Amino acid sequence: MVTELPKTDVVIVGAGWTGLAAAKELADAGQRCVVIERGDWRHDASNFGAPEEHDELKYARRKEHMIDTPIKTLSFRNNSDQTALPMRRLGSFLPGKGLGGAGIHWNGQLWRPLPSDLEMRSHYTERYGEGILDGMNIQDWGMTYDELEPHLDFFDRVCGTSGVAGNLNGETQEGGNPFEGPRSADYPNPPMKASPPLQVFRDTAEQMGYNPFHMPSANVTRAYENAYGAQLHPCTYCGFCERFGCGYFAKADPIICIYDVVKDHENFELRMNSQVLRVEKSSDGKTATGVTYIDEDGREVFQPADTVCLNAYALWNVHLMLVSGLGTPYDPQTGEGTVGRNYAYQTIAAAGVFFDDNVWSNPFMGAGALGMTIDDFNGDNFDHTDLGFVGGGYISANQTNGRPINYQPTPPDTPSWGAEWKQAVRENYLHHVGIVCHGSSVAVPGNYLDLDPTYKDAYGQPLLRMTFDFPENDRKMSAYVLSKAEEIARNMDHVRAVSTVNRAAEGESYSVVPYQTTHNTGGAVIGSDPATSVVNRYGQMWDHHNVFVFGACLFPQNLGYNPTGPLMGLAYWTLDHMKNDYLQNPRPLMDA
Amino acid sequence: MKLARTAILAIASAGLGSVAVVQAQDSGAEAPEMNELERRLGVDSVLFNATIEEEPDDDLLELGRLVAMGSSENGGSGMACITCHGVDGQGDGSGAFPRLDGQPGWYMYKQLQDYASGDRPNRVMSGIAQRLTEREREAVSAYYAAMAAGDLDRAHGDLEGTLLQWGGQLAAVGSAEKGIPACVNCHGPQGTGLPPSVPYLAGQYAGYMELQLELWKEGTRDNDSMDVMSTIANKMTEEDMRAVSEYYARVSNPAGEGAEPAGEYDLPSAE
Repeated sequence: MVTELPKTDVVIVGAGWTGLAAAKELADAGQRCVVIERGDWRHDASNFGAPEEHDELKYARRKEHMIDTPIKTLSFRNNSDQTALPMRRLGSFLPGKGLGGAGIHWNGQLWRPLPSDLEMRSHYTERYGEGILDGMNIQDWGMTYDELEPHLDFFDRVCGTSGVAGNLNGETQEGGNPFEGPRSADYPNPPMKASPPLQVFRDTAEQMGYNPFHMPSANVTRAYENAYGAQLHPCTYCGFCERFGCGYFAKADPIICIYDVVKDHENFELRMNSQVLRVEKSSDGKTATGVTYIDEDGREVFQPADTVCLNAYALWNVHLMLVSGLGTPYDPQTGEGTVGRNYAYQTIAAAGVFFDDNVWSNPFMGAGALGMTIDDFNGDNFDHTDLGFVGGGYISANQTNGRPINYQPTPPDTPSWGAEWKQAVRENYLHHVGIVCHGSSVAVPGNYLDLDPTYKDAYGQPLLRMTFDFPENDRKMSAYVLSKAEEIARNMDHVRAVSTVNRAAEGESYSVVPYQTTHNTGGAVIGSDPATSVVNRYGQMWDHHNVFVFGACLFPQNLGYNPTGPLMGLAYWTLDHMKNDYLQNPRPLMDA
Repeated sequence: MKLARTAILAIASAGLGSVAVVQAQDSGAEAPEMNELERRLGVDSVLFNATIEEEPDDDLLELGRLVAMGSSENGGSGMACITCHGVDGQGDGSGAFPRLDGQPGWYMYKQLQDYASGDRPNRVMSGIAQRLTEREREAVSAYYAAMAAGDLDRAHGDLEGTLLQWGGQLAAVGSAEKGIPACVNCHGPQGTGLPPSVPYLAGQYAGYMELQLELWKEGTRDNDSMDVMSTIANKMTEEDMRAVSEYYARVSNPAGEGAEPAGEYDLPSAE
């Protein structure tokens, strides 16, 4: 027996960054919004305060803020010749649950896409000729950087982003990223401090002719009132960002930046502990009629709505489309269909730098976005002629934490246990920094998402099945960018040893076991051609015009940057078109 | 308006002080013996608390004691610390002057630096701090930091239970409604501070803490490294400030009490 509730204007699936942004913007525009969230209510003040939150075992190792795999997980395989198995423990990536979603346990590294990233196919084929993208599903995003810029800028003012602008209205600025697209306004807040290892990285990179700059950070550097009037506090460099909530009101998150200013709105309603099972369609299949979910009392409930917004995590948005029959599932045999197509990841490699006693890192003073970065080998910021790959990544010396269980850096050839290992940890704990190569990920026909034929979740629905391995292009890219990072590391002063790790090394398959990054992208991509995208350039489904899709599932291929900045730019772009065009006259905003 | 208010508060504090000195002397408190302080430095946590640039030695503690009693290289600070802060570092009972016993040494040293430079404006303390040398500021900070922060043997006034409860809530979990982060985030689960830079609140005088919150809110005081406290105080009403100050004044401060040199515990014997 399904209970049918009174109709609302908009139903929003998920109360993370995009869901709460949608609720705030649409509620202000007079739309009655119901937000449905699978997890618990929580708040920075009452739930994330130290010392309880600074429990590395509970939150970093046992991952209490993340999804519960016995209830919701996916199955995984490297290629379609294998049989996928369920991921029973979290590893490579960490989707969140609860109010604020994964926006609670992020690091706060807040980037923008390069202008050429958004027109990747056009840009590369124009510069290098058509053949360079052979074998890849590289696509344009369907909008330009200039179109997205006002929305990227707005999100900077929601988060109080800190940094040094590299390009203000077309003028290159000293100390910033010279490769970035033009900013219409400076960063709202000054950059973070630079710890000694970051200063050494900066000096060395400069001497080598590169362009180091402070990583853009949503760890707020001074008291700040955001675009919605919320008050954010300065970061104390406590070293508990990633995998933790911030009790200091200093890491921008969806609760303190948006929820607090929309929670009392008459058009806003939040339903916690409610699992959306599917989006329902009209009898002609052309529109959605609402969503069916299991409420906190275990009842199956239908919430009718004029407009449906999918704001779950990238993977779960795709899963919801597949189990609801929205759009056409991707068929890797024929290359037709779009839902599940162009799944991509992030290609991570890193160099570890071990200093002598002249450089003290004191890693316990850190922050999620405390980094010194070069962008010289990201995107198409360097000449790809004859390199045999496209894309790249930023190289960044990051000082995020010195937590006792996980942060035990030892130089190469140190035994993994025993007296020598202990001695090495003692000697190196205060004299180490990691340099990450945060690489892009191209979309290829063999990497995709679909429904598992065997395994089901706690609600009886087939699991999402991920088929993924690092494309050859990205293996070459990763080796190249890592070689540049290693070169910088070896050129640094006071270095005793350098270690390297490359997750996409030749001959090694991608593994879901070791943590890499929670940057799963694609599967419901944005574009201007219905044959290769699930939603049009406004984020509206081609097949069902009252369904709007948000998040990193929209990325046609993954950038060399962290996804939160770009996906929030897309979210505000979509909301702008909903508020100022669609809602007055609901219809397809582009002709299929 | 802002200046006038600060001046009145300063005068009020000074007035209270002169009355309360008598109380402090009546209480019969005594300065801790030097060998007692040195013994306490055998415990790592106390040593860390008292260390500023380098570990304190006999000479530094002795100099600190002299400064506290009113002597200094420049002919004296003009006023002995003990006049207001007590020979035991526990203040004079009035609440106008903070306790110093067992506070982090580096924190107190930084306050003296900031009083001297004007970064923490205060009519009384600026002149005193300016007349001390760098070494004397360090010494007197280490001296008070090496003391045990025991519980005060002084009565608290009667208060509404709901006010104390609200103060306890602000201390422990802050306020999601007002966007106030909990005190325990930085001042520790028991309010005993986080050396070297974060002072203890447990057992500190309510009047002093309330005044500091007001100064932070009005921007007169902004000398913490990230200006975190102004951001927090800005979100607090006078009632919030009073509630949390009265709450912490009543919290027992175990830091430093009963600190014994390491190695005196009996290890379980192997069977």
